[in-house]
Amino acid sequence: MLRIENLHVSIDGRLVLRGVDLEIGDGETHVLFGPNGSGKTSLVMSILGYPGYRVLSGRISFDGVDITDKPMDERVRMGIGVVFQNPPKIYGIRLKDLIKIISKSKMSGAEISGLMDRLNINSSLLNRYLNVGFSGGEIKRSEIAQVLTMKPKFVILDEPDSGVDLDNLQLIGRELAENLKDRSGLIITHHGYILNYVKPVKAHVMVNGVIVCNGEPETILNRIKESGYRWCERCYEMRRSERL
Amino acid sequence: MLRDEEIRKALEKPAKYGVDLDLSRYEFGEAEEFTEIDRDVSKRGMEVGVDLDKKESLSTFLHVDYSTVYKSVQRQFKGDLELMTIDEALKKYDWVRDLFWKLRDPCEDKYTAFTALNAKGGYFMRILENRKILIPIQACFLLFTQGIIQPVHNLIIAEPGSEVHILTGCTIHPRVTRGLHLGVTEIYVRRGAKLTYTMVHRWGPEFDVRSRTGILVEDRGIFISNYVMLGELRTFQSQPSARLIGSYSRTSMNNVVYLKGNSEMDLGGEVLLEGDGSRAEIILNSVAEDDAKITTRGRILGLANDVKGHLSCRGLMLSDRAEITTIPILESKNMNSELSHEAAIGKIAEDQLNYLVARGLSRDEAESLIVRGFLDVSKMQLPKPVEEGVRRTIELALKGF
Ligand SMILES: Nc1ncnc2c1ncn2[C@@H]1O[C@H](COP(=O)(O)OP(=O)(O)O)[C@@H](O)[C@H]1O
Ligand SMILES: [Mg+2]
Repeated sequence: MLRIENLHVSIDGRLVLRGVDLEIGDGETHVLFGPNGSGKTSLVMSILGYPGYRVLSGRISFDGVDITDKPMDERVRMGIGVVFQNPPKIYGIRLKDLIKIISKSKMSGAEISGLMDRLNINSSLLNRYLNVGFSGGEIKRSEIAQVLTMKPKFVILDEPDSGVDLDNLQLIGRELAENLKDRSGLIITHHGYILNYVKPVKAHVMVNGVIVCNGEPETILNRIKESGYRWCERCYEMRRSERL
Repeated sequence: MLRDEEIRKALEKPAKYGVDLDLSRYEFGEAEEFTEIDRDVSKRGMEVGVDLDKKESLSTFLHVDYSTVYKSVQRQFKGDLELMTIDEALKKYDWVRDLFWKLRDPCEDKYTAFTALNAKGGYFMRILENRKILIPIQACFLLFTQGIIQPVHNLIIAEPGSEVHILTGCTIHPRVTRGLHLGVTEIYVRRGAKLTYTMVHRWGPEFDVRSRTGILVEDRGIFISNYVMLGELRTFQSQPSARLIGSYSRTSMNNVVYLKGNSEMDLGGEVLLEGDGSRAEIILNSVAEDDAKITTRGRILGLANDVKGHLSCRGLMLSDRAEITTIPILESKNMNSELSHEAAIGKIAEDQLNYLVARGLSRDEAESLIVRGFLDVSKMQLPKPVEEGVRRTIELALKGF
């Protein structure tokens, strides 16, 4: 589904990804861990082709097609959907307007209302301007609703469990688990709460713009929980010295 | 009369805001004969939210150039509503004189002075006590004769406990290019009444407009004004002013403007919170394309206890040659008043565009959605058919009429 090789990316002249390798097979969901500022969001944006993220070297292929130089709109059309960590506020555009536009020919009215019900998105939230005054949980639920309405082949979730209370987490977790059954995905999580619901097949840890280790999600999460990312930083040093 | 002399003197007085106009540039006195509501007229009516083809089945007032062509009250609302020309009302009721020129000063500037001396018509609407009129009353002002000044004076009284929505569309016949519309409107919202006043304007690239609106709101009265202006004109200036003298009275003024060409517009809104617990919200949303220049002025004064006011001015620039200026003013003369404002001007934000593209919209679709967002009228709580009409007009305007 997704294959990233030796990807180097800069933003505003600053190197943020320094040789990322990642491969996610068809129908697989992976999880990506990493300390703040390690480059997780930058990786998401680079996969999506978000303007401003400049690929210096390396390549990204999706569904067997090299998309390294393809514009964002094309990648979206190919089936990449992203739940953003920090979506912008847009005055004047209501959540329901956008859902309606996204759903065009992709989802029936009944399907949409089912999804909204499951994500506890009521008409008052639907009638509000996008992300204007939304609570943390509301932002995540609105993001997930939009992206699931797109019916993407590949879903990237950038910290879907940050700033979300337990009730919202359960709602989101169940819906994601259901929807990731028949698609591929990449979930970024800081604390790993979402892993109580979604069971990825593989975990990766990013430190300083590179993926320093891969492995079994439970094992890696437990190690991070025990000793934090210091342990990963050692791996980073090791990898670096190997390369040099 | 001394007063007349004073008003005559004011004929030379420029307005506080906006481009100064030379009134001698326009004709005044003769109008061409208006014979029928043809396709052009009814189309223009629709564009400003007024259905002139169905006028029999609705409460409608149609004024062309200097005279009232048509007026009728829907049968089910007879006895709830008085609708007549202002001249008829002045003859019928002595007390009308006491409400006339009380909320705006005829000596304010040359436009009020000209209207005070020369007004030809205007409507008088009075919604009787505790009556609720559920279907909007439509009024349409049309300018049919090239190059004339059209001075009108309207008076609206929502008696205690009444409720009504008045929709006023102002426009010109498509063959007209030049002219000046002067509209003075005085609005009284009595105790516990609720008045929604929606105005949709559609003019032409050489046309000038000056409106003067004064509003008085008594205890627990609610005044909602919606203003929509789309397309081009030469110059426009208006600063509706509302005095909320009643305790717990409320007002909300929503303005949506999309201006193109060489248009120059100065649009304001002013609320004086004089009654304890009164509340005001002013929204001025503007989109400027081509060489359009827009100034928006919002002003809220907190003069009583526990009043609240919020002012929002947002401007979207669609061209490098356009100009938007926004001047928000808050003044408090009471410790227990809470006033706030937000203002933002800019081009379409990249992060918003990219966000929408990431959701599968094309860049063009995303841009057009953001522009339509600036022109969002759903906050105005218009009745469905009116909202749909206004939305259609916005679509037309964005596509260049
Ligand atoms: N627009 C930007 N301009 C410059 N630096 C940026 C920008 N966005 C992110 N960065 C930097 O890139 C690094 C990686 O950030 P990010 O990808 O957001 O990390 P994470 O998602 O893992 O917290 C950080 O050091 C951050 O400060
Ligand atoms: Mg991040």
